Amino acid sequence: MSAADNIATILSSGARLTVPLAFAACGEYVAQRAGTLNISVEAMMLGAAFGSIAVASATGSATIGLVAGALVGVAVAFVHGILSHRVQINTFVVGLVLNALVLGLTSYLITVSTFTGHQVWQVDIPVLRDIPIVGPMLFVQRWPVYLLLAVIPLTWWLVERSRWGLELRAVGENPQAADVSGIEVNKRRRQALLWCGLLAGLGGAYLAVGEVGSFNQNMTAGRGYLVIAAVIFGAWRLGRTLIGCVVFGLADAMRLALPALGVTMNSQLLIAAPYLLALLAMLVFATTHREPRALAQPFQRGTT
Amino acid sequence: MATLGIDGTGQRLLRRLNPGPGGWQVGLATVATIGVALGLSALLIAVTGGSPTASTKALYQGSMASPAAWSTSLLYVAPLLLVAVGACVSARSGFFNIGQEGQVLIGALAGAWVGLRLAVPGPLLLVLVLLASVVGAGIWAGLSALMYRFRGVNVVVSTMLMTFLAQQLISFAVNTPWLLQESRLGRGTLSPQSNPVPENARLTSLGEYPNLQLNGGLVLAVVVAVVLALVMARTRWGFRLKMVGLNPATARHAGVRVGALGGIALAISGALAGLAGALLLTSPVGTNRLQPGMSLNIGWDGLLVALVARNNPLLAIPVAVLFGVLRAGGSFLAATGVPSFLVDVVKALLVLAFVAPPVVIGMLRRRRLADQPSTPTSTPTAPPAATAAPTPTAPPAAAASTDPADTSAPVAGSAQAEPAGSTAPVPGPRSTAPPPADPGDAGNKDAMEGRLA
Amino acid sequence: MDVDDQLTPALTLRGVSKRYGPVVACDAVDLAVRPGEIHGLLGENGAGKSTLMKILLGLVHRDAGTITRGTEPVEIDSPQVAADLGLGMVHQHFSLIEPLTVWENVILGDTGRIDRAAACAQVEEVSRRYGLPIDPNVRVDRLSAGERQRVELIKCLRRDPSILILDEPTSVLTQAESAELFTVLRRVVQAERRAVILISHKLAEIMAATDRVTVLRRGAVAFHGATKDTTAQQLARQMVGREVSLQSESAALGLLPVERPAPVGEADGAVVPPTAPGPAAQDEPAALRLREVTMLIGGLPVLDKLSLEVAPGEIVGLYGVEGNGQATVGELLAGLLVPDSGTVEIDGRPVDLVRPGALHHAGLGIVPEDRHHSGVVLDMSVAENLVMKSLAAVTTRGVLSRRRMHKIAQQRMTEFNIVAPSPDTPLRSLSGGNQQRVVLARELSAGPKALVAAQPTHGLDVGAIEDMYVRLRQAAAEGVAVLLISTELEEVMALANRIAVISSGRIVGVLPTAEATAERLGMLVGGVSH
Repeated sequence: MSAADNIATILSSGARLTVPLAFAACGEYVAQRAGTLNISVEAMMLGAAFGSIAVASATGSATIGLVAGALVGVAVAFVHGILSHRVQINTFVVGLVLNALVLGLTSYLITVSTFTGHQVWQVDIPVLRDIPIVGPMLFVQRWPVYLLLAVIPLTWWLVERSRWGLELRAVGENPQAADVSGIEVNKRRRQALLWCGLLAGLGGAYLAVGEVGSFNQNMTAGRGYLVIAAVIFGAWRLGRTLIGCVVFGLADAMRLALPALGVTMNSQLLIAAPYLLALLAMLVFATTHREPRALAQPFQRGTT
Repeated sequence: MATLGIDGTGQRLLRRLNPGPGGWQVGLATVATIGVALGLSALLIAVTGGSPTASTKALYQGSMASPAAWSTSLLYVAPLLLVAVGACVSARSGFFNIGQEGQVLIGALAGAWVGLRLAVPGPLLLVLVLLASVVGAGIWAGLSALMYRFRGVNVVVSTMLMTFLAQQLISFAVNTPWLLQESRLGRGTLSPQSNPVPENARLTSLGEYPNLQLNGGLVLAVVVAVVLALVMARTRWGFRLKMVGLNPATARHAGVRVGALGGIALAISGALAGLAGALLLTSPVGTNRLQPGMSLNIGWDGLLVALVARNNPLLAIPVAVLFGVLRAGGSFLAATGVPSFLVDVVKALLVLAFVAPPVVIGMLRRRRLADQPSTPTSTPTAPPAATAAPTPTAPPAAAASTDPADTSAPVAGSAQAEPAGSTAPVPGPRSTAPPPADPGDAGNKDAMEGRLA
Repeated sequence: MDVDDQLTPALTLRGVSKRYGPVVACDAVDLAVRPGEIHGLLGENGAGKSTLMKILLGLVHRDAGTITRGTEPVEIDSPQVAADLGLGMVHQHFSLIEPLTVWENVILGDTGRIDRAAACAQVEEVSRRYGLPIDPNVRVDRLSAGERQRVELIKCLRRDPSILILDEPTSVLTQAESAELFTVLRRVVQAERRAVILISHKLAEIMAATDRVTVLRRGAVAFHGATKDTTAQQLARQMVGREVSLQSESAALGLLPVERPAPVGEADGAVVPPTAPGPAAQDEPAALRLREVTMLIGGLPVLDKLSLEVAPGEIVGLYGVEGNGQATVGELLAGLLVPDSGTVEIDGRPVDLVRPGALHHAGLGIVPEDRHHSGVVLDMSVAENLVMKSLAAVTTRGVLSRRRMHKIAQQRMTEFNIVAPSPDTPLRSLSGGNQQRVVLARELSAGPKALVAAQPTHGLDVGAIEDMYVRLRQAAAEGVAVLLISTELEEVMALANRIAVISSGRIVGVLPTAEATAERLGMLVGGVSH
């Protein structure tokens, strides 16, 4: 294989590994802008991965499975929203419990059931795929990848240009002021969580019915935490968050590809790289990276 | 009941048992939610073709039916309890640590390194192993405190991220021959694990009972729990810790070094998690080798124990026993054909069952107080504003009365009736002064709410 | 205002009541507001003004009574409905979101698609019409207090409300800015026949700016009438519920317009500090001295080489409009902030402000501005709150003695009239006045050389306010240097021996109270220094 082929392979697999992260990061980004430091994104992805395979196996359609996975993500988000933005249980506690619950539940269910593998169809554009280096990355992917290309600008538009997004940002920055302006703070936060659940669900489902074609126990293996790291690394800006996802995805791709290419590199460092980068980003840019001021602060009317 | 009350102890005990108006409601509701949690678990077994009664029996047999079963349960209790007590300390201080899983591993790593590298005779080696784990994991958790102190990095986030770093660090250590990877015996391939720690670095059973292994680790954990409970309730240090957790600004104002105290609490919490890691290494729970998966999710589970125990180290003892029983029973359960993952589901549901009732009842009481006679009636559909074009993204904000949280109105004092919380500090916009001291609008920043339960 | 009397009121409230548990916030309130008038709603803190307005805005549901808009009975159960009925509110606090731009803030709470160009044009149009210059594209965190108030007004007026409600709108404004505000309001009612409800506890303001006035006392209407037919004394009496003399307490409550440059003690006579104020005090070394203190927040100087000194036995009032750095002085002296440069000296010795509790150990007591934030721990008991700064007295080798803690707490509760069922009662369940007494008891019983009282009477009832004044005077009489940080001119005039005026983080003038007149202080506050 030539060097160009190697690069193309790494880029292409990096892109595939980036996709689930990018989907979920678009969601987590919205949740955090609205003030929820949502750690149940892991549960959303894992539940969705399981749900997508279960439904795909039952219906025989990977696409229906993908949709079902997204809905599982929404369901987890709904529970999280109720528990932390209606009942007002600490959001980290809710996240920890949901992560434990979904991990236990999916592990249990996958052990007692058997599913057939399914995968969504692959787009393969004949001429363009032969473009050196970037061809396979851009033009040979499963179709949800192209959905992602629509989701990203939509997320940006929602947050930065729509009224809903304006209200979300208001709620994430100063819930008391948003409240007296007539915005229902906790409702907006729940809605932001639902959007997060939808996208994290798509990301998790893509992992199962897109990338792998099956489900195995603890399939997401901490990717949700990676997504949180990406949003922090991205300093609560969508573009930088996605760059973070790409970097993390490429690191993962290199870890998988390098041994085959005969390059020895410390795989532990590559796995740890995203977390290390997120920590370093927080340390280095502590003064310039400004998080939403009400991040992880619950809102109750009357408690200033 | 008050016969104990010669010196008021009994009365104090009673006062503590009765958490004020609504306390009994919370108790009843908790019993009900536990019922629901167990019912749901039973339903899950039934739906997936298992038998709830058989599973319950298996759980019992694996955990409590025999001295041997109890031994297994109790072996898990010690590390769970240590992690939980640490979590109680850090949560009390408001520096909410969720990185115990990684700290357990770091403790084991430090312990293994000392155990395998130092040639010290006798039980002194064991002591050194335990000490090393305490120091190692304490420093590891202390790094989060430093990152918060000097760069304002959110403690919850940093402890969480560092868990993944710890996992890779262990993996690196046991994959690297010059570090801790096992030495070659014969021609077999090398596994990613360390050599077993020497005999004199292992915890042995206390006394000789047939079939019952009472591990020294358990005694250690219970002693730590009792001592820390006393320290938190009865000493100046505990008083200050409570102040820092409940109101860091007032604490600072009263002369407490908030950052330092919180950092110490965080380090203690990490150190205890590390000690739990050392117990996993040195007691017969595992293989006495450093392995990447050796933390057995004890870190996460211990955190759940603290949540159920509402950050009370003494309450954490029975809760840790319960979780230990579930763990031991879970392994046995697998033998009956029901996957042991079931107990993870049960545990998560139980945590919810314990955590939700006080919060829900507090909310309901607040609502009743705030809006007594006028229950929110139906929500009239808002007449569309003349200027308002209907849009799918912006539902009219008219549904105020449908949201229970929103109907709570400010009442002098009562609107904040819920403990405002152990606070996980969030960085303020500046780093000149510690964030709890931020003025004005940033003043809220120091409190990233979090009274757990 | 006979003509107005014949008009249909724009808004009528009949028998509106609201209870919070056992507390009656509004008790059968009647209120009628006519188009073309500024209606003053006067009352002490906690008299029910805010609850009434929250009912009108749909934030709180009333228990009884009717609300009529014009001739239609209406049901206001959400802020949206209130807005649709033409009710607009200018909030005292918490209503602008700093990282958002002016136009984004202005359209917050609307519905429908966002049109930036239209929003900006509208902001500019409204700002031109009312003479409220503002750039719609600038972020709110770059604006001064006065400019923010303009944004609030624009946000409200843009929706073309027929009834404007202003909640204590001048608390953050200079006199010049207040005057500008009232000019705009006058234009709004006269040229456009809107109705304005002006909520205030400042009598001078109500007398000067309103056409009619309603006085609330303990949730009920105590007085109602045309402003020109009443007098300040009459309103003051109705507001407090008893005969008020023209003495310092009533003046300090903001009940009276300030015309009287009387030094403390002269009119009151109850407690006269034995150490004569003024020149005599200057001879002694300052018990509290701030030297060239500079504090930067976000690169901007909040305190700019501020110097100030307070002699033993003297009360110095630090007066200024909210947001000019006095809150920062309070936080600095509470040990919550560390200045970028400058020193704080107590009894002539500089204090290392980095060490927590250093100020306390050096002999500085403080009643902080926001006691819930930095004065008390609400979820700890009264006893714990009373001893938290003197733990050494209740511990032996680090172990707490509950018995000693109780004993000390009991003593202090008796001494300072703290009403609580037991020392073990959680502080949260005490009234605001009693909570404040706990703070004061803790600070004074440490035997401080200097005491800082930052907005010590905010949110307290009359009894507690009087109590606070007596204690502060007493402390001064016993030789404590008292620094009173207040935004209430009357309070400062009544209590202080000298008044230091703070503006933009600097002391722009220090006057003996005898020489201070409202005009001179007003000039200083407005930044017109000499």
